[in-house]
Amino acid sequence: MPELRTEEFQVNMGPHHPATHGVCRMILTMDGEKIVKIEPVIGYLHRALEKICENRTYAQCIPVTDRFEYVTAMSCNQVFAMAAERLAGIEVPERAEYLRVIMLELNRIASHLIFYGVTAMDLGALTPFLYGLREREAIIDLFEMTCGQRLTYNYIRVGGVAKDIPKEFIPKCHEAIDVITEKMSDYEGLLNENPIWLVRTKGIGVMPAKLGIDYGVSGPVLRASGVDYDIRRDDPYSIYDKFDWKPAVHQNGDCFDRYLIRLDEIKQSIKIIKQALEGLPEGDIKAKVSPNFKPPAGEVYARVENSRGELGIYIQSDGGKKPLRVKMRGGSYCQLQALPYFGTNCFIADLVAIFATLDIILPEVDR
Amino acid sequence: MTWPIATAELFPIFSYLYELLESTGLPQPWLAIVVYTFLAVVMFGVLALLALFLVWWERKIAGHIQQRFGPMRHGWHGWYQTIMDAVKLLQKEDVRVATRDKPVFFWAPVICFVAAFLAYVTIPFGEGLIVADLNIGILYVMAVTTFTVISLLMAGWGSNNKYALLGGMRSAAQVVSYEVPMVASILVVVLFVGSLSMVDIVQAQAGGIWNWYAFRLPFGPIAFCTYIIAATAEANRTPFDIPEAEQELVAGFNVEYSGMKFAMFFLAEFVNAFTVSAIAVILFFGGWHGALLPSWMWFLGKTFMIVLLLMLFRWTYPRLRVDQLMEFSWKFLVPVTFVNIIIAAWFKYAGWYW
Amino acid sequence: MTRDELKDYITKQFEGKMTLLDTGRHDPMFEVKPADLLEVSQKLHDDENLQLDFLCNLGAVDTGEIFEAVYSLDSTTLKMRLDFKLILPRDGAEVESVQKIWPGANWFEREMWELYGINILNHDNLKRFLLPDDWDQGHPMRKDWDAPDFIRMPEL
Repeated sequence: MPELRTEEFQVNMGPHHPATHGVCRMILTMDGEKIVKIEPVIGYLHRALEKICENRTYAQCIPVTDRFEYVTAMSCNQVFAMAAERLAGIEVPERAEYLRVIMLELNRIASHLIFYGVTAMDLGALTPFLYGLREREAIIDLFEMTCGQRLTYNYIRVGGVAKDIPKEFIPKCHEAIDVITEKMSDYEGLLNENPIWLVRTKGIGVMPAKLGIDYGVSGPVLRASGVDYDIRRDDPYSIYDKFDWKPAVHQNGDCFDRYLIRLDEIKQSIKIIKQALEGLPEGDIKAKVSPNFKPPAGEVYARVENSRGELGIYIQSDGGKKPLRVKMRGGSYCQLQALPYFGTNCFIADLVAIFATLDIILPEVDR
Repeated sequence: MTWPIATAELFPIFSYLYELLESTGLPQPWLAIVVYTFLAVVMFGVLALLALFLVWWERKIAGHIQQRFGPMRHGWHGWYQTIMDAVKLLQKEDVRVATRDKPVFFWAPVICFVAAFLAYVTIPFGEGLIVADLNIGILYVMAVTTFTVISLLMAGWGSNNKYALLGGMRSAAQVVSYEVPMVASILVVVLFVGSLSMVDIVQAQAGGIWNWYAFRLPFGPIAFCTYIIAATAEANRTPFDIPEAEQELVAGFNVEYSGMKFAMFFLAEFVNAFTVSAIAVILFFGGWHGALLPSWMWFLGKTFMIVLLLMLFRWTYPRLRVDQLMEFSWKFLVPVTFVNIIIAAWFKYAGWYW
Repeated sequence: MTRDELKDYITKQFEGKMTLLDTGRHDPMFEVKPADLLEVSQKLHDDENLQLDFLCNLGAVDTGEIFEAVYSLDSTTLKMRLDFKLILPRDGAEVESVQKIWPGANWFEREMWELYGINILNHDNLKRFLLPDDWDQGHPMRKDWDAPDFIRMPEL
């Protein structure tokens, strides 16, 4: 009798695959249903944003950053504006800082709601997707009311914000976060104790904290592995040190913890927004900055905590009105890089769960 | 030969047509052929309409669970949207992969479609409303519905696509695993009725709701639960829809199919969902028995309730992983159903039930 | 450690290896000679008082005359930031890979190699990934790069 043997085969997951959230391609070496090796292939969405930024003035770069990480475009605006402000030594008025924090946290909630829906959808539960997007809509309406855009906001500018909030913003914002607070129990009720959800996520795709730090994984994914590290608290920017909140940390580093930590972060964000709305001072919303300002020669690496981890921008200026070099660093980039090291030796269905809970978005990887 | 639909309360016109046909003096084999061809066409039409209705209904239910409306544009609450969808699918170009295995690729949807419809030979839609009351009724249904798995395997193999192949393999493994608990749950009912005939099974549950097998404690509810779980898997519906798991295998076995061939798979899926629900009604919920309304209405109503249950599963649960699915079947469902059979047999032996 | 203490500590500990530059606008910026890169990196990573275990960012800069490779580091335990850079010649720029120390440098270095043409020594996977596999138009992030369909913004 011939010896029974199995053969490994390769599967292309992507570039267009429902679970890769964009155009990521992963070459999977599989042994039956088990994954032996993952090789991510990126670059399908490369738009040369860094090169484009080198050709534009600082003010013109802000809309480009919107396209960098479109799910939380506010934080991209914020990090670029912050880097330019640090380069040029611009002081931002306090009201503008408060508005920025409100927008950033609203945007974080919106992003986590998308995460909630999309992750559930990747695991086959189609209903939570609509639930997540329903409340996100309220937040997006707030953004539309403020800056006229629903996805690429171009709202946070160098020196402040583009427009003041309209009068009805504050009551509507209170209303929206009240609704979200109320609906949190719905979200948790749908999935947290669902037995199928638990067997699909608990103990799946455990990322050790050491591996995460080594590969530059940051944000909620790293915090789910037990590393208490949040840039908002540890390298404070804007006015985050004025608020009473604390980063959510979970210990296991599996898919379930990565999912829970997002729900916890939504609660923390709501806490911050409430405080910011209360303390919102009157005053200017933008420092006086010439549209063609020339920061002195120098360099800065600014970073913010966005919903996918550390979002950083390195700008080097040669004293001209255009940046000499803009380097963008996104959280997804490092998370995708780390994926092959802890995502193997599981089933293809688990890979989908891991990929979803890393919350990778591809424009951020490819830039 | 007797008229198949003997006491059809629904269509007295059938009897009239039959008499008309008989009066032409057609010799016997030809008469039977004409009658059964006619019945096949009617059945096909009814089932196609049912499948289209189920698609529409599922979309409405999904919509309302997800706080939206579902189809709203075409007619009242979009009632003819699925009909338009079907027409669109029929008109679409039939894209065929160049590297396919030609005969296998072609016959897979046909077999899937045919297998889905074959079961309806022995499904009693109402009192006397049955095409042929075979004495091996339920066994026959089990046998032909399992035929679907061959078509899925053929689709997976013939597409020459790794995702499709994985989907086909998964469906084979799944159907084989879930066949065991499914048959074991059915066995409980067969044990009590003492017959495999569908009509006999339904007749055994006559005389009120407490005679329905689903309510005969303690084995009835257990058998029903295990049956409905296995049936969900058999019909490839979430949380057991791993053969076509969209987010993992893109569309599994039907990833390379388009146009009419895809429509055949799609409709067959809904026909299968209806089949397993109809069997659940026949076995556990007294088939056509009910008060006041005509028997076929009772049957359809009950069946739609079970389909509704399947739809609620689908739109609330995530999907299981392939190995967890197998474990669930072999380590949980199979032992439970076997213990259940022993309990039921003891009850029967002791004569505690009629 | 505050930023000033960090500056003092580094200049003391890394005498002659790391020199403080005045271009860093927010966090301290040092210069390291390419030859010392691995030694300095290892020490920054392992030093008890620094523990810079997290590579935030690594990118190349083309100033027109020279290349720079800028490393942004961070400590997840002691919560402090530090940048350093290497100055590289434009012709035949070469830099040692730091992926033994910070494995996350892998893709950043690949990107440097691909977009700037800086050769990375001892890198285990130098393959194209942002640009198409059959790309033959040079290194697009260089200042002197040009292509037929590349349009520069007009001067304001």
